[in-house]
Amino acid sequence: MDSSKRNRIARVGFVVLAAVLIEAISITQYQRVRSIIEEDMAVQSKVVLSAMVSDVDHMLETTEHTMNENLWIVRRYLDNPDSAFAALTYLIDDNPQVAAGFLAYVPDYFPSKGRLFEPCALRRDGAIVHSQLGGPEHDYTLSEFYQKPASELKPSWSNPYPDAPEYYANTITYSYPILDAKGRLAAVCGLDMNLSWLGDTLNSHQPYPSSFGMLLTQDGLLVAGPPESRTAPDKVEKMLEILRIGATRTEDKKLAIQTSNMLRAPYWQVVEVYSTDEAFSRILKMRRQSWLLVLIALGILFFMIERYTRGEKKLSEASAEKARLSGELEVARNIQEEMLPKVFPDNIFGTVKPALEVGGDLFDFYRRDGKLFFCIGDVSGKGVPAAMLMSVIHSLFRIVSRSEDRPSFILKTLNEQICERNSANLFVTFFVGCIDLYTSKFYFANAGHDKPFVLSESAELLPVKANLPLGVFPDTVFEEQSIMLTPGQSLFLYTDGLTEAKNKARVNFGRTRLKECIDKAIADSAAVPQTLISRVGAAVSAYSHGVTQSDDLTMLVINYAPGKILSDKITITNDLSEVRRLNEFVKGFLEQLDVPVREASHLRLALEESVVNSISYAYPKGLKGEITVYADSDFKEVRFTVVDSGVAFDPTAVLSPDTTLEANERPIGGLGILLTRKLVDSVSYCRKHGNNVLSLTKILI
Amino acid sequence: MNTKVQVLDDKILVSLSGEFDTAAAEEMEKSLQPLLDCGAKDIFIDCTELDYISSRGLRILLVFLKNAKANGSRLVLQNVNDVVRDVLELTGFVTIFEIE
Repeated sequence: MDSSKRNRIARVGFVVLAAVLIEAISITQYQRVRSIIEEDMAVQSKVVLSAMVSDVDHMLETTEHTMNENLWIVRRYLDNPDSAFAALTYLIDDNPQVAAGFLAYVPDYFPSKGRLFEPCALRRDGAIVHSQLGGPEHDYTLSEFYQKPASELKPSWSNPYPDAPEYYANTITYSYPILDAKGRLAAVCGLDMNLSWLGDTLNSHQPYPSSFGMLLTQDGLLVAGPPESRTAPDKVEKMLEILRIGATRTEDKKLAIQTSNMLRAPYWQVVEVYSTDEAFSRILKMRRQSWLLVLIALGILFFMIERYTRGEKKLSEASAEKARLSGELEVARNIQEEMLPKVFPDNIFGTVKPALEVGGDLFDFYRRDGKLFFCIGDVSGKGVPAAMLMSVIHSLFRIVSRSEDRPSFILKTLNEQICERNSANLFVTFFVGCIDLYTSKFYFANAGHDKPFVLSESAELLPVKANLPLGVFPDTVFEEQSIMLTPGQSLFLYTDGLTEAKNKARVNFGRTRLKECIDKAIADSAAVPQTLISRVGAAVSAYSHGVTQSDDLTMLVINYAPGKILSDKITITNDLSEVRRLNEFVKGFLEQLDVPVREASHLRLALEESVVNSISYAYPKGLKGEITVYADSDFKEVRFTVVDSGVAFDPTAVLSPDTTLEANERPIGGLGILLTRKLVDSVSYCRKHGNNVLSLTKILI
Repeated sequence: MNTKVQVLDDKILVSLSGEFDTAAAEEMEKSLQPLLDCGAKDIFIDCTELDYISSRGLRILLVFLKNAKANGSRLVLQNVNDVVRDVLELTGFVTIFEIE
């Protein structure tokens, strides 16, 4: 699995975890709120209950009070059966809650009225009407409201009973025993109360739409309940069932029950039923709403994390890319620095200070065959493209100058190579110089580069032709020039980064300031290469202080200090007999240098073979010519230069013979060149001014 | 350059002294002619006093060697000094000449 997928899973996991946490908090809060609400509901229903209990109490009390207050009238007309109606009317008229009043005489109290006599006054359609209820079809002596007070001789409340075939047993009776003068029971006076209104009262102020109140007898008989319009009868039945088994909740826990008992007779039970769901439905709704909000918030959170991580990823990718590029630039820079000379002799010093990480400037120098080859160049543009071309040119210079002595030819070859593949249209200003350390001759050719200074008493510009830069036209001709140097003179080469360094006013450092600076150094006897470069560098830095370096800054100083030189020459004719004279000359020259015999023999042989080659191959039969051999040495190295005027013949281009062949297979010729190559350190040929010029160099010591 | 040639019954003794350079080689070709007419005789060349040899000298020796081999005889170089040995080594001639 790749890391981005893993990261994504981690982010999703984070959001899911957040969701789980939020839900856990929500559940905990919900539970807490729920229990608080449950407590509140219980308290509230208790309040409702106690209100209901006191309502019922009050109703019973007023009925009892009506009985007690008005019973004297009944007693007064007890023995007058016809007056009983009026007394009862009086009695019920006092209390609107009383539906009917009756006086049930003991059997046979009034013989004239039959065995059972029960005068009754009852409300009907707003008026009080009279009726005698006793008779065979209504034997009140069997009724609870008669028997209980008759037997106990004290007032009592009957259980509810239906006085008509209705659903609820909605009638109760308060019965009071009336005794005669002898203390015997004469009649039972009763007040009927219709309780159908009680159910309405109990349920008129319910706190929740589905809650309801009920009134039950001690035996669990329903006295008053919610109207059918409020609660379905089967729901009431179900609650009665639950109450009978003593539970406080339905099985599904949706309905809860609170009960309270009257503290007085008839000790009925008031029941409040409420739906917990209903109470919690609002919190549930709230919870659902909050969940929606949480989901939206989590969605936004996830979106933000995604965006952020994507941004982070882009940023880290960008910075990784940047690090990679700067790492590569670092490598490129190292490669470039590797190519620049790092070890300097006392008389040469050079520096490159690139404006960007990699630069387009270069310089180089090296010594070959008693000659110092050097160059300085500036590729147009900066940065990687310029640096790449610079590296190419640097390598080309090294390769070309290895076998080519003439600066103009070196430039020509470089130019052809660059023009051939210069799609970027970069061009290069380039200066190539070659100082013959034995002859003090300084050959040079320019390709559009800034003129170097020649330093003696003061700094003067080298009178060099500008020519076109490299890379412009493939057929540009680079004119070669030369001057003679005097020992002690120096050359100061630089790139335009130096003269075009700007100060804050955007004015160039310029050639005049540069010349002044160098002249000052000469006057101070500080024109030693390294000192001179650090002085000029410091001057330019001070001049352009606070301004970003905009171009590469390169300097190369060469002090011409050839030291002690031994030079000689001999001219011979193209005749093999002349070789002996040559040998004597060489022997004598090498003796002056104290070269050991064996090495001297080697050198002699190398030179002899070269001259014999010239005699044999450069001059067609019969053609007379001269061969001059120059011998030069600085006591560290010896150089022989063979110059003949014969036809062009490059012995270095001749293949060496195979030295591993058997005697019979060995060719007779070709050994001379082989020996020459093997006996000296360097052999180089060039055709110069119609002459063959062959240099043999051997390092002494 | 001096050469001494002694033709014996069974061999030819040669001694070379001085410098066998290009100019000497020009002259040598005549004085060493007996070596080409050696028949089946072995040739021993004493190089004790030979100070120097050029490629021309080597070529002359090579001609003698090829001739001797064609006749089924030997050509032996004796007492070769450092300078001459260097040249023989550089040219690979040490492998084709018999050197004592």
